[in-house]
Amino acid sequence: MVRTSAPVRWLLRVLAIGYLLFLVALPLMMLFGDTFADGLSTLGSILSDPDVISGFRLTIIVALWAVVINLFFGVTISILLVRYEFPGKRALSALVDLPLSVSPVVVGLALVLVYNGRTGWFGPFLEDHGLQVIFNSPGMIMATTFVALPLVIREVVPTLTEIGEDQEQAARSLGAGPLQTLWRITLPSIKWAVVYGVVLSLARSVGEFGAVKVVSGNVTGSTQTATLVVESKYEGFAQPEAYGVAFLLVMVSIACLIVVAVVRPRENEPRRNKR
Amino acid sequence: MSIEVSGVTKRFGEFVALDDVNLSIPTGELTALLGPSGGGKSTLLRIIAGLESADRGTIMIEGADATRVPARHRNVGFVFQHYAVFKHMTVARNVAFGLQIRAKPAVPFSTTWREDRARINHRVEELLDLVHLSQFAQRLPSQLSGGQRQRMALARALAVEPKVLLLDEPFGALDAKVRKELRDWLRRLHDEVHVTTVFVTHDQEEALEVADRIVVINDGRIEQIGSPDQLYDEPANDFVMGFLGEVTELGGVRLRPHDIDVAVSPGVHGSVPGVISRVLRVGFEVRVTVVPDPVIGAAPAPEVNVVMSRAHQRSLGLAEGAKVWLSPAPEAARARLAAVR
Repeated sequence: MVRTSAPVRWLLRVLAIGYLLFLVALPLMMLFGDTFADGLSTLGSILSDPDVISGFRLTIIVALWAVVINLFFGVTISILLVRYEFPGKRALSALVDLPLSVSPVVVGLALVLVYNGRTGWFGPFLEDHGLQVIFNSPGMIMATTFVALPLVIREVVPTLTEIGEDQEQAARSLGAGPLQTLWRITLPSIKWAVVYGVVLSLARSVGEFGAVKVVSGNVTGSTQTATLVVESKYEGFAQPEAYGVAFLLVMVSIACLIVVAVVRPRENEPRRNKR
Repeated sequence: MSIEVSGVTKRFGEFVALDDVNLSIPTGELTALLGPSGGGKSTLLRIIAGLESADRGTIMIEGADATRVPARHRNVGFVFQHYAVFKHMTVARNVAFGLQIRAKPAVPFSTTWREDRARINHRVEELLDLVHLSQFAQRLPSQLSGGQRQRMALARALAVEPKVLLLDEPFGALDAKVRKELRDWLRRLHDEVHVTTVFVTHDQEEALEVADRIVVINDGRIEQIGSPDQLYDEPANDFVMGFLGEVTELGGVRLRPHDIDVAVSPGVHGSVPGVISRVLRVGFEVRVTVVPDPVIGAAPAPEVNVVMSRAHQRSLGLAEGAKVWLSPAPEAARARLAAVR
């Protein structure tokens, strides 16, 4: 620990707490307060609102698919980026970060351009074969997957780099094939990075708004996710309901954080103490 | 011959790591690949293991061409400098890894499955006993010391009963004391197990102490192959001589500092006169630095270092400023400078 004088310490504390208070804690507390202003009646009413239920159902479907797809491709791309040399590797690495810097609205528009049923590149072809992408869940899943793409990779790549290739080579010299090495050595060693990446992707996918709004068509009761429900309730002067749905979304995020906090230290602490 | 390396060349870009290396390693011996860092010895070991592929040349292991055989089918035990332990497995499961991989798939809880498990557990117990880690079987590698981890890695490599055991700077990451212990222990283990063993080291003391045969590798080439005695007493060239021990120069010849006879009167024919400039006592030995007398018409000769015992120095009464005559001891290992330069 660096020793600092008492006034500096206090100043730093006040700054940090004030920053979090005004940016995070106060707004969330107001949100909680408004949700429970009439007791549990607001929550009761939104939980019996079919539009809200359908919104949450769609959010869950879209988020789960996006997480599963990102889990599979994220781990694969990470291993590719860390363990293999190939031309265009740096370009791929840069491309992976693109979703972080591109506005989700742009992502949505780009997907519409490519996949819309009338003038898109693939859209008409896919629609002739019975798959409507835009204004339908496939498009929403694609938009959400795109936006959450870097999260698993950015968690897994540093861990893979850190553990190095030695363990995998040792496994190979002991007779393990590529799949056995992956299953028994590589995946268990990056397990916590993957879990963390998945939780982050899940939180990001549940909260996605812009890209999904563009590609979904925003039809109440059919292509509206929970975040879109919040917006349309708010715009429709149903503020308490909007707060209630927003509150539920916040609870999902908090649940994600709790899962990570509870699950992760249990594995790491005994080791850290031994070092 | 257990391992036959012929014509192996390996480049990393422009850098030539191995240049047309030929080497045979006899069965059952403990061989050291000795040389400075970056000399290509680790690369050679990794090529033998199949962890790296040669650009040219062939590798034969026990008479079979292994050049194109992947690492996992070579049946070679490999021990890494930084242990490469499986961090998420207990010590016992680390050691069992190779055996479990080799076990034929069986229906869980069936008779064959139970028999396999019992057999593997028994073998793991044996191996942990061999490396003195029985009481740590259920610990995680992170709870072991460096020396214990490396012994576990050795047991893991031995578990699959490899045809050859390859160790890449196995004690390089350990502190001096543990290093010495493990060195003795490896020697004893080899006498017990008798598996053909090759280990890489840059520490000449380690090689001289442990190995049956030493292969000196420098700049991607083999400089000399021989027993520790041969290498020390009859170095093939200046590099080997310099790498295996201290060297000093006397009358245009390089030789070991303890192979110089010191006289206080001009007796021996051809002895070099000089004046002692420094006497340094280190424990039981004394290091004497002598400045040879200038010879008219010749370039000044470099200082000569001589090592002798404390008793010998006392009996001769050597001190700074004394006049001495130096001559190479008979039978001394030496390399002629002319042959090298």
